[in-house]
Amino acid sequence: MALVQLESWMALAPTLLLALSALALFVIDSIDPDTTNRPLLAGTATVGSLASLAVAVWFITTGVGDPARRGELALFGDQLIVDQMALFFMVIVAVVTALISIASYDYLRGHVYQSEYYSLVLLAATGMSTMATANSLVTVFIALELASLPSYALVSILKDNRGSVEAGLKYFLIGALSSAIFVYGISLVYGATGHLQLEAVAENVGAEGFDGLLGVGVLMVIGGVAYKTASVPFHFWAPEAYEGAPAPIAAFLSSASKAAGFVIAFRIFTTAFPLEAMTEIGFDWTMAFVVLAIVTMTVGNFAAATQENVKRMLAYSSVGHAGYALIGLAGLAVDGGQIVLAAAMMHLFVYGFMNTGAFLFVAMAEYWGVGRTFEDYNGLSSQAPVACGALAVFMFSLAGVPPFGGFFSKYFLFTGILETASGNPWLLAVAAALVINSALSLYYYARLVKAVWFEDPVAGRGQLTQPTGLYVAVVLAGVMTVLVLPGFGPVADAAYAAASALGP
Amino acid sequence: MTVAVEYYVLLSAALFCIGLFGVLTRKNALMFLMSVEIMLNAANINLIAFSFYHGNLTGQVFALFTMALAAAEVAIGLGIILVLYRNFEGIDVTVPAAMRW
Repeated sequence: MALVQLESWMALAPTLLLALSALALFVIDSIDPDTTNRPLLAGTATVGSLASLAVAVWFITTGVGDPARRGELALFGDQLIVDQMALFFMVIVAVVTALISIASYDYLRGHVYQSEYYSLVLLAATGMSTMATANSLVTVFIALELASLPSYALVSILKDNRGSVEAGLKYFLIGALSSAIFVYGISLVYGATGHLQLEAVAENVGAEGFDGLLGVGVLMVIGGVAYKTASVPFHFWAPEAYEGAPAPIAAFLSSASKAAGFVIAFRIFTTAFPLEAMTEIGFDWTMAFVVLAIVTMTVGNFAAATQENVKRMLAYSSVGHAGYALIGLAGLAVDGGQIVLAAAMMHLFVYGFMNTGAFLFVAMAEYWGVGRTFEDYNGLSSQAPVACGALAVFMFSLAGVPPFGGFFSKYFLFTGILETASGNPWLLAVAAALVINSALSLYYYARLVKAVWFEDPVAGRGQLTQPTGLYVAVVLAGVMTVLVLPGFGPVADAAYAAASALGP
Repeated sequence: MTVAVEYYVLLSAALFCIGLFGVLTRKNALMFLMSVEIMLNAANINLIAFSFYHGNLTGQVFALFTMALAAAEVAIGLGIILVLYRNFEGIDVTVPAAMRW
């Protein structure tokens, strides 16, 4: 059927393309270190991420990773695996990277470190894409650091801006601490099982007799994952880092980095710590995720409701959405729960568009220099109706109002929990928390829409320009958030296939 | 006569706690970095001791990776501490506190 037989390592092409374009940017930078050729730099980054996206989608449609068609590809002695979930998350990372690259074209006007910025973005994206394929605690940790280290530099890339430096410092300090906790957790898991490859860990759970160590190790691994996904108890960095970082970077971290954090969480906990064996040694980790999910969504949404600063509101809302996605792990059971896992993946997919779009609107507002609070955004719609229309789409989709993508993913989450709740009554509390928090979130999302569309414009605001790149990115994200509606079938199918192949 | 693996775990747990204590109490950004390094090295002790205990090399190899990554992390950290010094005339991590919830 295939015209050419590809080598198995070619399955990593989406990741390799991101790495190659990062290296291409290094080459451009070394030929002309002072280049401010923005079209060339932004274009290279965009083409690279779009190529990665195209290859990942092509792989999904031709059945790479599908056990029934071409099969999952385990590479390098099972250290990396390309299955449907890996490809699904590679798509999310590539989409967000492409949107960020397009938007940064305008945002970085007059910035000194252009090529450094784009190559760091692509290196971080390479790390996130590798996280999707990592199948051993070693590769998980290395990929996680590859995603984190460029992110620290990106957050503090506005070197003369005290806010950016403060954000970068806080992000780095908490990141360094949590990665130390994560690697200590890994060392304890290794001690208790004697292996680092995920399937081998699963086979040896409880076999060596260090069950206590294993329990502590799993808790520490949860801590490391919570940091990457900005969940309680390691969510403190999120509002600071997002507020101080350049807005496209905030979009990148809150969408792609969060999705990458979830893919390692899904893979580690479904593959390495099978519920059956873990329950036998008395450590049922779904309970931990039930608590984390409820606390995370409540903290995120209540804190978001009290914010005056738009970017900070979005940052806390992103913590809240991490809580929704954690339901995917809370809802797993020994004999099922893939529906919830698939719904969480769908939510992360839709979230990639709507949240990136919302942060890019903030990027546009920063580009205009209109200010940061809700009041500063008053009446923007009279001057920029298209962008504000897209903003309304993002907000209602984030809140989960029916016609948009965000509603469907939340609906699947909700029905999924109810379906599996018979096995674990605590899930009813999760379902209740999901509904209450969604209702609350409508308040602060609608508040932004009201400020932009219904309030009188601020007096004395100058003419607003029309930055092409930012507009293209925001409108693309808006169109995709709406288009997910008719296209939800394939997305849902892909997520279900990915989740059931994973299976607990 | 070899030392039982439990003692290695005890040692690494002690180091980990010392590092964590430093992270929580120190205000100097460099001391913070050193404390994190101690925590990472606590993990390395575990990995190497258990590698010996289990009789496979996975843990030792991973310890090498951890060291390399720790070095990379310090490089980024020092860069951030440098811009911190330029912007705030000091490296006290409690000084930059413009953003609060």
